[in-house]
Amino acid sequence: MLVSEIDVISPLDLDECLTILSREGIQHRLLAGGTDAVVRMKDGKWRPNVWINVKGLNELRYIVKKDGAIHIGPLTTHSDIIRSQLLQTQADVLVEAAREVGATQMQNMGTIGGNIGTASPAGDTIPALFVLGAVLEIRSCNNKRLVPIEEFFIGPGKTVLRQNEMITNIIIQPQEKNEIGIFQKLGPRKAQSISIVNVAVNLIMGENNRQCLGGKIAFGAVAPTIIRAKKCESMLKIAPITDDMIENISKVAWKEVMPITDVRASASYRRDMASALLHRGLYRLMRRWESYES
Amino acid sequence: MKPIRFTVNGSPREVNCHPSKTLLDVLREDLNLTASKECCGKGECGSCSILVDKEVICSCLVLAGQAEGMDITTCEGVGLTANMDIVQEAFVSEGATQCGYCTPGLIVSSRAFLNSIEHIPSVSEIKTALGGNLCRCTGYAKIIRAVETAAKHQLENKGKLSLR
Repeated sequence: MLVSEIDVISPLDLDECLTILSREGIQHRLLAGGTDAVVRMKDGKWRPNVWINVKGLNELRYIVKKDGAIHIGPLTTHSDIIRSQLLQTQADVLVEAAREVGATQMQNMGTIGGNIGTASPAGDTIPALFVLGAVLEIRSCNNKRLVPIEEFFIGPGKTVLRQNEMITNIIIQPQEKNEIGIFQKLGPRKAQSISIVNVAVNLIMGENNRQCLGGKIAFGAVAPTIIRAKKCESMLKIAPITDDMIENISKVAWKEVMPITDVRASASYRRDMASALLHRGLYRLMRRWESYES
Repeated sequence: MKPIRFTVNGSPREVNCHPSKTLLDVLREDLNLTASKECCGKGECGSCSILVDKEVICSCLVLAGQAEGMDITTCEGVGLTANMDIVQEAFVSEGATQCGYCTPGLIVSSRAFLNSIEHIPSVSEIKTALGGNLCRCTGYAKIIRAVETAAKHQLENKGKLSLR
């Protein structure tokens, strides 16, 4: 298939889009920000018969609080997330992750739905969505289902999304006053880089000094999909998160991740860095928490 | 081939092209606006930066079929030799250009950034804003200085306007 033979259809609303998706016999792909899809088209990896351009569906671009949960439209750009007052106060880890995506141009173009749908093991917003307990609403022409984000990914670039379905809503639980999150990333340079390792942490803090009531830790780029570090998580509640404790937790992270060697880094480097990033993240998080308290 | 209509630098345009052609190629080949350059073609270098609805994006990753109805500003729309923008004047006066390949993209990104400022930006703010534009001659120091100068002039002019 030559690039010049690929058509672009721009549905006017969601219903039209889902109808087009349900048509069988045409090879189609969704196109949102294009920051990944167009690159793959140029590389010859993705050559559908038709691009379904959903970028213009403004009905899927929103950040609102409804019934105690935060709803984010899949076509919300990373820049929208960074600017959102609501997310800055009640989903700080997602805002930090969105800031680390590419640079200004990519943040203006790329959408959160696209970042999820592309299912890159190194996607930056996905670990943040893991620790915020995101649930994805997936719709097809005649069906609607809710999938927790942890069950959405099967492997690199592979998800449970069927050919006739698309992500139509992303629901996260807002952080309470005693919750605090952080996103840490290691890339080859500061701007515009793909993660070698990244980690998102969300902790629920208790009343005593550095006492933690629980929390979630998710690593990116250390496994075929984003993973939760459940052994590290279980250590959070054992004792106050002192500097010694942080040291111990990050040692467990070294064992818990399962990275591979690829063009960006070797497996052993990734393992060391996953441990170091969690160490740094928890250390910074505790400092931040103490400065809020005082 | 499909007709595609959008606004470029304030004037409505219509082109006939295949819908999966990149917007960058449309601008350069069909509209002869050759300021925007192709370099990496992957959204990493920023040479193809343009403004769409006042936000800076990479035109090499937008398909023509997606551009229907867009309001586009290219480097030519920021200013030409006859009516240079403050940013372009600052790039000239600071000598913030070597081979010039990245310059149009940097001018567009700087313009978008300067539209959003209320104070003279710090160096780190400028670096963050221009993080998506690479200069392989590595003339970053002068580029950053040019943006600072442009910011000063812009804010001074604004002050004058409000005094009137």
